Amino acid sequence: MPWLKILSFLLYPTFYAGMLRLMVPIVLGALGEVIAERSGVVNIGLEGIILLGALFSTYVGHKTVNLWFAIGAGLFVGLIVGLLHALIAVYLAGDQIIDGVGLNMFALGIGEVVLYLTWGSFATSPQLPREARVPSMGGFSPFVILTIALAILSWFFLEKTKWGLRLRAAGENPVAAEAAGIDVYKIRVIATVAGSMLTALAGIFLALDWLGGYTKNVSAGRGFIALALVVFSRWNPIVALGGGLIFGFCYAFSLSIPSGIIADQVLYSVPYVATLLISMGFLAKARPPGAVGRPYKRV
Amino acid sequence: MLVVSGLTDYAIEMKGIVKIYPGGTVALKGVDFAVKEGEIHGLLGENGAGKTTLVEILYGTRRPTAGKIFIRSKEVDVKSPRDAMDMGIGMVHQHFTLIPVFTALQNIVLGDEPIGSMGILDIEQARSKIEELMEETGLKVDLDTPVENLSTGEKQRVEILKMLYRNADILILDEPTAVLTPLEVKELFEFLKKMREANKTIVFITHKLREVKAITDVVTVLRRGKVVGKVKTDEVSIEELARMMVGREVLFRLEKKPREPGEPQLILEDLWVLDDRGDFAVKGISLQVRSGEIFGIAGVEGNGQTELVEAIAGLRRVSKGHIILAGKDVTNADPHTLYELGLGHIPEDRHRRGIILEFTLAENSILGLQRKNPFANNMGILEEEKILDWARELIKRFSVDAPSPTIPASSLSGGNQQKLIVGRELMKNPKVVVAAQPTRGLDVAATEYIRETLLRMRDEGRAVLLVSADLDEVLMLSDRIGVMYEGELMGVARPEDLTIEEIGLMMGGVKLDEIRKGGAS
Amino acid sequence: MKGLITLLRKYIKPISESIISVLIGVVVGSIIILLAGYSPLVFYEALFSGSFKHTRAFLDTLSYMIPLTMTALSFAVAARASVFNIGAEGQMYMGALIANIVGTYIRLPRLIHPFVAVIAAFLAGGFWGWLAGILKTKRKVNEVVSTIMLNWIAFYIVNYVSTYHIFDPKAPYKTAYVLESSRFPPLVKGTSFTADFIIAIFVAIIVFFLVWKTSLGYEIRAVGLNPTAAEYGGVNPGKIASIAMFIAGGCGGLAGAFLVLGRFGFITTTLTNVLNWGFDGIAVSLVGRNHPLGIIISSFFFAILNSGALEVQVATSKGGQIGVPYELVLAVMGIIVIAVSVPGLLDLIRARLRGRKEVEKVAMA
Repeated sequence: MPWLKILSFLLYPTFYAGMLRLMVPIVLGALGEVIAERSGVVNIGLEGIILLGALFSTYVGHKTVNLWFAIGAGLFVGLIVGLLHALIAVYLAGDQIIDGVGLNMFALGIGEVVLYLTWGSFATSPQLPREARVPSMGGFSPFVILTIALAILSWFFLEKTKWGLRLRAAGENPVAAEAAGIDVYKIRVIATVAGSMLTALAGIFLALDWLGGYTKNVSAGRGFIALALVVFSRWNPIVALGGGLIFGFCYAFSLSIPSGIIADQVLYSVPYVATLLISMGFLAKARPPGAVGRPYKRV
Repeated sequence: MLVVSGLTDYAIEMKGIVKIYPGGTVALKGVDFAVKEGEIHGLLGENGAGKTTLVEILYGTRRPTAGKIFIRSKEVDVKSPRDAMDMGIGMVHQHFTLIPVFTALQNIVLGDEPIGSMGILDIEQARSKIEELMEETGLKVDLDTPVENLSTGEKQRVEILKMLYRNADILILDEPTAVLTPLEVKELFEFLKKMREANKTIVFITHKLREVKAITDVVTVLRRGKVVGKVKTDEVSIEELARMMVGREVLFRLEKKPREPGEPQLILEDLWVLDDRGDFAVKGISLQVRSGEIFGIAGVEGNGQTELVEAIAGLRRVSKGHIILAGKDVTNADPHTLYELGLGHIPEDRHRRGIILEFTLAENSILGLQRKNPFANNMGILEEEKILDWARELIKRFSVDAPSPTIPASSLSGGNQQKLIVGRELMKNPKVVVAAQPTRGLDVAATEYIRETLLRMRDEGRAVLLVSADLDEVLMLSDRIGVMYEGELMGVARPEDLTIEEIGLMMGGVKLDEIRKGGAS
Repeated sequence: MKGLITLLRKYIKPISESIISVLIGVVVGSIIILLAGYSPLVFYEALFSGSFKHTRAFLDTLSYMIPLTMTALSFAVAARASVFNIGAEGQMYMGALIANIVGTYIRLPRLIHPFVAVIAAFLAGGFWGWLAGILKTKRKVNEVVSTIMLNWIAFYIVNYVSTYHIFDPKAPYKTAYVLESSRFPPLVKGTSFTADFIIAIFVAIIVFFLVWKTSLGYEIRAVGLNPTAAEYGGVNPGKIASIAMFIAGGCGGLAGAFLVLGRFGFITTTLTNVLNWGFDGIAVSLVGRNHPLGIIISSFFFAILNSGALEVQVATSKGGQIGVPYELVLAVMGIIVIAVSVPGLLDLIRARLRGRKEVEKVAMA
């Protein structure tokens, strides 16, 4: 039976290693945005954050040849960008969507500029030395475990802790939250910064783990897939993990299947079509946090 | 829970409270308000009397311009609701502050969450305390249902439990029965009596006379920012309360030309309309407005008037019943059709509905007419000169104080904006005009002008339905009035055939035929 | 005269905020150049010479305006109805695809071929935009989510069709060339300043006329400014939003058509030659305050920026080694967009000059 032969790649662990590797950045990106959006702040600049995280961790990785400094640098970038976005979205009540669009554009541009100016290439930085790279564990990356752990922790934080409850209150109905004594501004800023740092971790993974350096447009649309995953997962970190596995499966499947049977493009479109359907209310009811994207001004 | 201290047994004493808003409106003119511990104290008054302002000051959401507040004989400065909560004051507002997707339990503990080890939420700790509270008070609610799935009565119970969970012993309830079914009202009253037994102090704001008699021990009546009386409930009759609430010595009347009203132009038949919550706001209202008359609907706001007007104007669905305009059944027609048939609507909330602030005066003057000749030609292109001429005429005829029709509507004063809206509607030459709260927020000159215009409409033979929470206005302008209470008309009569007491009683919930049959209590 | 003054006064604030945002972007651009080891003067000089050094440069700059103006109008028309159209990118892809198909596979006389292709592209893009509108009206799908998803779906559709069906067999990395009869010829030989420039300006004028001089435009603006009042005025907000998205999508489609029929004549199968104009259009529209006149001026400026960045790359290159890459322009545009997202930028800056306390007051107001 030809089908068995064609699908035989499903039997090899390398397929699953690849699937997990594909899942990591989109789930990390989605986790960060789930936290931010649950508190009421939208950030569509995930592409940009992933890019910047990868860029800076690569840069510092080369300069210091030290894995932890490199990771720290990437997280630091996430912190700064998160603060900027929080400032605009929370305190200045600026347009959260537009500033995300600007962030993406900026990151794309600055990424190329720094790439060329630092390493003289338009395509890729040199490979990072081993000491600045995340070691693999028998073909699997520790980031996989980290991602799963972070997904579970995020879920636990949001559903089971006092601050998670308050964060969700701020995102559902900030007026009621303030009436209950919660500082909505502060919680939103912290959530946005934490979210941004988680997203930056996706970039760190791409640079320090998978690719071993920075390449042009390293995020390759993953930021937007992460956004789709946020909606697809109905703002639930565990479902985001599952959704990430599904999306990762689709990509890995399309990479492994011999060409000509089913067009890549069909598989690549699955996440986007699925997200649209979910938004329309099919398959499952997607209900965003009540006050997401709307700036809250204290009366 | 209680600290008995001091020389008096007053839980609350507010002395000489004055509140002047930045615009110059005086909401409270030196109010003294004292509530003893363990008493259910009613705060009675119509719209604008100042009841809500007074309790907002007590609860810290507003600052007084002058006056002192004493809680349990200690002078205090309530700077925010958090302060009030710390002092043991709790308030249930007319509009609930709940998180719809959270369960009742989560809503109750929000902000004061019990924590277990390592900061993990231990809601179950609170559950037993709250279940105890529910037993004690008789306020039962399913703690694990998301609040959005609860009935309004149940939501209110959650709000009350929120207060009690934080050990409030002064409970303020602002018009709590507005959203309850009769059975729920009974349950609420049972609860309040239990609280009184537990020596809690309760402030109960209402405009409903029967409730005052049913549940309060003492009642303070406010009118136009002043206290007009403080009496023991069982020593006063409903009629006296009505008189105090509404009492006017002089009923100011404008010169009205006597007119024979013509045919009914607007007929409502047994109209039932739902509000946003899914309960009926209008319950079987029937009335007729004839050409050449002003039919005024009086009543405290929140008794369904807004929904009634929206239904007539085609902005809200009618569940049952009919609306007949100029002889045609227009139930559930859209606003455009209603305009075509001769309906003019002066909306209650002009900034939201009546004008587009960023548009120019000229653009606003044709709102609703943007597709009609002569303002647009057959290809849909606007005829700017004709629009400007129209606007200029409007400005002249209705004395709108504006240098030119090309200024944005936002630069007009409130009064002039309202004149713009009134003018626009009138220039459409409507057969029927529905005017909702037409002079709210306007200065004296604009108010006078609008009222004269309403009379002019009547004299021109139009049928005018006037809905206003300003009783003076309704009495002054109407040929016939109806009083709306809880979605029904308590009675329809000519103003000159009603005593002030009867009006007060109707506004407070007593039907006219009951009053006239003799005795309402 | 009085009218002119009031008009100016009304526009002074938004215009100055746009100018400030652009200045902030330019300043950051020069800082980047400084950090790269060059003098910031290089940047200013390049901005000027990139577009004004000789006619050819100027015409090239003008030709950049064509797609920018179209995608900017796409964002603007939707914005006037208060709909956030991030989907100009996808609408443009669809327009490009249809224009390519009509241009390559349908034989028509030279005079009408381009116009038929353009109209088809408008309808394709319009449909793509209308989808997002209808999803919002009928299913309450947030338009930011739907337009972003539709962008990618459009990408893959075009990618698929161009890779497997309409590719050029001699050069399979791109689609087959459109027929000469369907192309807009260059107005000046040897430049990329093609005849569709005139049409683009014409489209901007039509959009202006539509939004400000017709009943439909009145209703679009009414729905965008105050949907409750519009409803009271007999307008159906959902229907208007869908119509606005159709028109917006159509403009996006036109961008794609002009790129294919004017500038390039083909699409690369990975769409690299049409990428990003959609997002750039958002920047242009924001700075142009969502108004056709502002958009034309703004797109001119962004085109100058574009040429300027190319010139920077050239000017900083020495002996085969490039200095500062052209992609600098993206970074500058990004900063401009971020600056534009802050409301009341002017007020904030004024307040900053008056001291800290004022800043808090303004920000919290």
